[in-house]
Formats: sequence, structure tokens, C-alpha cells
Amino acid sequence: MDFAFMWDTFLTLLPGLPLTLELAATSILAGGILALVISLIAVVGGPIGRGFTRGYVFVFRGSPLLVQMFLIYYGLGQFRPLLQELGLWVIFREPYWCAVIALTLNTAAYSSEIFRGGLQAVSVQQVEAARACGMSGLLMFRRIVLPIAIRQALPAYGNEVILMLKATALASVITIMEVTGLAGKLIADSFRAFEVFIVAGAIYLAVTFLVTRLLMIIEFWLSPHLRMRPPSLT
Amino acid sequence: MSDRGTILTADNKNGMAAVSVKDLRKCFGPLEVLKGISLEAQEGEVISILGSSGSGKSTMLRCINMLEVPDSGEIRIGGEMFALKKGRHKTEPTDRRQVDRLREHIGMVFQSFNLWSHMTILENVIEAPVHVQKRNRAECIEEAEALLERVGIADKRNFYPAHLSGGQQQRAAIARALAQRPKVMLFDEPTSALDPELVGEVLKVMRFLAEEGRTMLVVTHEMAFARDVSSKVVFLHKGVVEEEGAPDEIFRNPKSDRFKQFLSNER
Repeated sequence: MDFAFMWDTFLTLLPGLPLTLELAATSILAGGILALVISLIAVVGGPIGRGFTRGYVFVFRGSPLLVQMFLIYYGLGQFRPLLQELGLWVIFREPYWCAVIALTLNTAAYSSEIFRGGLQAVSVQQVEAARACGMSGLLMFRRIVLPIAIRQALPAYGNEVILMLKATALASVITIMEVTGLAGKLIADSFRAFEVFIVAGAIYLAVTFLVTRLLMIIEFWLSPHLRMRPPSLT
Repeated sequence: MSDRGTILTADNKNGMAAVSVKDLRKCFGPLEVLKGISLEAQEGEVISILGSSGSGKSTMLRCINMLEVPDSGEIRIGGEMFALKKGRHKTEPTDRRQVDRLREHIGMVFQSFNLWSHMTILENVIEAPVHVQKRNRAECIEEAEALLERVGIADKRNFYPAHLSGGQQQRAAIARALAQRPKVMLFDEPTSALDPELVGEVLKVMRFLAEEGRTMLVVTHEMAFARDVSSKVVFLHKGVVEEEGAPDEIFRNPKSDRFKQFLSNER
């Protein structure tokens, strides 16, 4: 092991980290919003809504993210004239946006199932108490259902956030120079796959460590009602 | 509404019943649970509703605030009738907003408390006044603290429901319902989920409320409460009012065999 080389590698890969984080943050945020909409359609959309969301989840959860990314980046290139006509080519010619779209659609499928579980686990009793005091549907969703559902979904959703963070590495195969992309390039130059990937892996490990801590803090902050010791009197 | 006292329910009467139920019918699938029930509660009356399980007493109570929508019949709160229409498959409210508005005036206490688990006791109590009735938050907190004091759990206001005993949770739920400044309070077997030694503390609070002159409809198995506190007792059997009357009268001289049998089983 050549530690001086590894340090150089670290300095080479680090500039890719902002892009990795940006890809992850954008797709997690957009995917989360999309997932919330999909899970709502699944819960309150009736048979048509349920059918649509089941189909969506089936397709995007059932096929590899890599294939989805290839389809969007390379596959849609075949329809360039049509996309140009629609004014969408500015998006689909950019590998960055193709990666974001693939990651977003993919995480939305998984997250919508997590949110659906969270929403459906809100007890009838809590909902009835809300209806009984005159809450409208929207107010009840905002004040009672969503806060409880989020708390119930958070541990599983934390998993999804971490999976997404790591899934951004796949974007390197459609020419994006994030951490893994830079690592690939460096290996092609140096032929030292072991050190380079060790460093790349360590960078991901450090980020996921921080993210898991952050998720733990959020969970702790959101769940005083689940901790056994009552809060001290104020 | 706004100038009403915190505790008193005294309101203008104009001869209108606080709650009036007329010819209420409700089926669950092929099962006819309510077969034409009529009932009236005047301002300040406490009505105990008795009946064995399956008699329809909880369903009737839940129809009064539209948690169950009756198939037919009329329900009036302070003279205003819930507008219902025939839907494709079942009867439904004509106007959701009217239902929400009338519900604001109906405090409901559930068998299993139904406190919102992610909110502290104080947050539970101020939720409806602040977010549904849009009243001033500081005033609501002041009023909520007074209510929690009254039900004897002021020291628990920053606790979460899961940290309280069943009896404390139910008293918090009563405070939450009172915070709506309701015209009528509905109690759906409020002590049935409690350990025997916790029943007393909840009944004590309910006695207070009755003495204050609140209008209350109470589905219960507590015979002593029904006898001592209520102004009227209604006995339901198989979806009809089998017997009703003043507690002294009805407990001393039960007329129907069903009610006699029920009383002998409960003792």
C-alpha cells in the first residue's frame, strides 16, 4: 500500500464529492416529493389510482437502475428529433439530468411504498379523533396523518436515502465525473485499482456515516413520545 | 360563542334541544344495527345509554357526530340538522364543511382515548381550538391549563400520551374535548378500556361535568354512574329503544323483560 499515492488519490477524488452529493440531494428531494404524491394516489386514489401506482412501482422497482439510466441517456437519444421538437432535448442531452431523472424515478418507486406503509399504519383512532373535533381533510392530513406517518416511515426511509447516496455511483457509467467516475479515470491512468477504490469506498463510508448520524438525530428529535422516560417538568 | 365562560355551557335555549335524533336507521351490510331510534337531549341533560354489546349504542352515538353516517333519520345539533343525501351506494353528507362545523360543537371521548401520540398532552388539548377554531393561541393555552387543572393532570401537560396511565389519558381526552367549548359531550364507553382502579378517577371528572350542567350523552356500563348522575336513562336492545326514563324510575321498576334481564346480569 502506497499511502502517499492514496493521499494523492483522495485529493483527486474529493472534487467529485460535491457532484455526488448534488446528484443524491436533488434526486432524493425530487424523488421524495414524487413518492409522497404517488403514495397519496395509492392510498386515496381508488382502484384506478391504485392500479397506476402499482404499475409504476412494478416497473421502476422491478428493473435495474443501471438499465433505466441507459434507457434514458442512450435509449432516448434515438428519439432526438422528437425531443428537440418538444424542447426536451436540452434536458435529455445532459448526462447529469438523465442521471437525476433515473435516480428520481427509481427512488420515488421505493419511497412511495415506504410512505404508503407509513400512511396506512396511522391508526383509525387517531384519524377519528381528528375528524370528531371538526378537522377538514386537508388540515387533518397536515396536522395528524402526515406527522405520524413520517415518524413511522423514517427508519425505512433512512435506508432508502443511504441506498440512493450510493446509487449515484452508477451515474459514472453515463460519463458523469462524480467520485466513482473520477476513480475510474484515475485507474485508467495509474492501473492501481486497489488503492483507488479503497479511497473511493472510504469517501462513501464517511458520507454515509454522517448521513446515518443525521438520520438518527432527526429520528431522536421526532420521537420524544417513544422514549420511555418522561421529559422533565418545566 | 366567544364570550362564553370557560366552564359554563349556559347558552340561549329558545326551546331547542341540544341534540335531537329522529328515526335513526343504520345497516352494516345485511345487519341492521339501528332500527329507528329517536332521542332528545335538552340543554344540561345527562343521558346514559345502556345496552348489551351489539345493541347499537356505540353506533348510535357515533352517528350523532357523523363518524358513522346513518342510512336515514335526522340528527340536529342545537337545532341545526346534518344535511344528508342519497349517494350511489349509501347515504352521505351533502356538505362536508357543515359536518366539520357542527363537529366543532360536539366533544367526543372515545373508549380507547385516541389521543394524538406525537403531541404532548397540552398540544393535544389546544390542537382543535388553535387549528380548527382559529382562536388565539395564548388564550387557548391558558384555557387548556385550566382544563387540565380541573381534570387533575396539570402536572402532566408536557408529557406524551404514552407516558400516562389509562385513567390520566382519558382525563386528558376529556380536557381535549372540553377545549372545543362544545355544546354537547359524547362519551363512548369512556371507562371500558381502563383497569378497575382507574375507573373512579374518570367517573369523578364526569360527575363534575354533569354537576356543571353540561349536556352529555354517555354510553356506559357503569350502572352507578347511570343511576346517580344521569337525568335520563335509555336502554337499547337490538337497535331499538327498549326502555327509557328517569333513573330512579327505570331502575326501580324496569318494565321490559330485556331490561330486567340486563340489570340482573350487570349486578
